[in-house]
Order: sequence, then structure tokens, then C-alpha cells
Amino acid sequence: MTHDASHTACLELFEKLSEYLDDELDEQICQQIEAHAGSCVACKTCLETLRQTIALCHAMKQNETPVPANFSDRWKECIRKMASEAVDAHQS
Amino acid sequence: MPNPSADPKIKQDGDFELIQAINAGHAELFTELVSRYERKLYNFGVRMCRDVQDAEDVLQDTFLNVFKYLKDFRYETKFKNWLYRIATSTCLKKRRKSRFAPDRELSLDEFLPKEEAEIPVQTPAWASLPLDQLLNEELSSIIKEGIQSLPENYRLVLVLRDIEGFSTAETAQVLGLTPENIKVRLHRARLFLREKLKDYFSHDA
Repeated sequence: MTHDASHTACLELFEKLSEYLDDELDEQICQQIEAHAGSCVACKTCLETLRQTIALCHAMKQNETPVPANFSDRWKECIRKMASEAVDAHQS
Repeated sequence: MPNPSADPKIKQDGDFELIQAINAGHAELFTELVSRYERKLYNFGVRMCRDVQDAEDVLQDTFLNVFKYLKDFRYETKFKNWLYRIATSTCLKKRRKSRFAPDRELSLDEFLPKEEAEIPVQTPAWASLPLDQLLNEELSSIIKEGIQSLPENYRLVLVLRDIEGFSTAETAQVLGLTPENIKVRLHRARLFLREKLKDYFSHDA
């Protein structure tokens, strides 16, 4: 199937891809998107590359760096001191 | 004191009892609250501020504000949402003092194929590979750089939704925007990042 970027169905789908992938659309619209993507390679590609982009973003959750130990120790000591002062104030 | 009229589900966020104890005079437990969120918030700061020193400042300033205002927290939202609202505001203040380029709006048009040659004839291989075969150190850096090159308004939404795991409604609450606005920004941010990935894989091919 040839693809024209101005094609109404393609543009409508393009606008809604994220909502579709996030399961935020009515079932009827989902079915329309699936039917169109099933016959339009360009839109199918948009859908699949966006799906993978989101999956890669989700995977970045695991890619966390620890808080630098010297900083963490130093500022947590400040927090402890503040907390201790607050406890004293509450008791007095 | 927690708000007795708050949604009971909000109180099931795992922090409710700890916050109650802190506000009842056990301020020493505040360090437990810090430990729960320190790492997540630091990484949020790194992603948003793009600078380790700024991320440390965000972490510190956010928790200082939480410590100061926790007694006024009424559980009208989950503690985590409130925490990120404070952290976001701290990041935005930080940015104003920083060196970043001005924000710009992303339009949907810039992500549409411009010419016939840009229209794909088949789905590229990277789109269907399992993540464990695809994601390596180099690609992680490309994704990080892509996220960091997003205009801030879009980066915030993408980080909150796709990395921190907030729902559309929660992200709207954290940022004080409408859910519709969040959806629009998220879609454009994802398309922006997809372009970076397409460029990377087309050079890689």
C-alpha cells in the first residue's frame, strides 16, 4: 500500500499512537487503529518503533546511579541533626 | 494530622503510617522517609538537571522543604506525588539559575515523514528485538542524551510518565496541568526520542 503522509487515516492514527499504546482509548478507536495499521506498513512501523521507544524508556528505570556516598553521608547527618532538634522541641 | 476526608486509597501508599508517626513527634523517623526516596529522587534530579551537583542540590532542597512542610501535608494526594511536586518545582528553580537553552514547543508536524524516501517500507529490526538483546551501554547513553536534549516541559512529562512510572492523572497532578496536556506533551516527547533512536540505528546499520 502506498503511503501519503497527508492521508487522513494515517494522520489520525499518528496523533493517537501514544494513547493507543497506553491503553487510554475507547475499544472502537483501538479497533480502527489496528485495522489501519494492519494494512499500512508506514503506520505499522510508526506504531512498532514507538512501542519499542517506550519499552526502552521503561527499561531506563533500572539504570539508576547510587547517590554519591560522601554527599549522602554528609547531608543525612544534617537531616539527623534537624530531626533530633525537632524531637527535643516536641518533648519540651 | 492527615486529612480524615482524604481518599482511603491514598492512605494505602505505604508511607501513611510513617508520616503519621513523624508528625506525632517521632521526627527521628524522617531519615527512614529519606532512605525510601533518596535514590529515586537523586536520579530524577540527574535526568532533569543534567548535572550531578544540581541533582544533589535538588535532593537536599526537596527534603528540606518536605521536612519543613510535612506537618501541613493533608494526604489530599499520595505522599510520592506531593514529593515529586516539590522536587519538580525545585528543579525548575534550579534551571532558572542554570545555563540551559530556552524551551521550545515541539510540533507534531516535525515528526511526520517529509518525503516519500522517508516513508518506511518495512519495520526496522530494532523495533522487534527483545530488550535484553538491544539495550547495551552505548544505547543507554543515546537514550539518556536523547532525554536530556528534550525541551524541559517535554522532558518532565516523559521522565515522570515513562521512567518514574506515574499515571497520566498523577503526572497532571504533579505538574498542575490537564491530563490532555500531559498526553499531548508525552506523545511529542516520545516521537522526539524515537527520532533519536531512528538516527542511531540508521547509522548503526
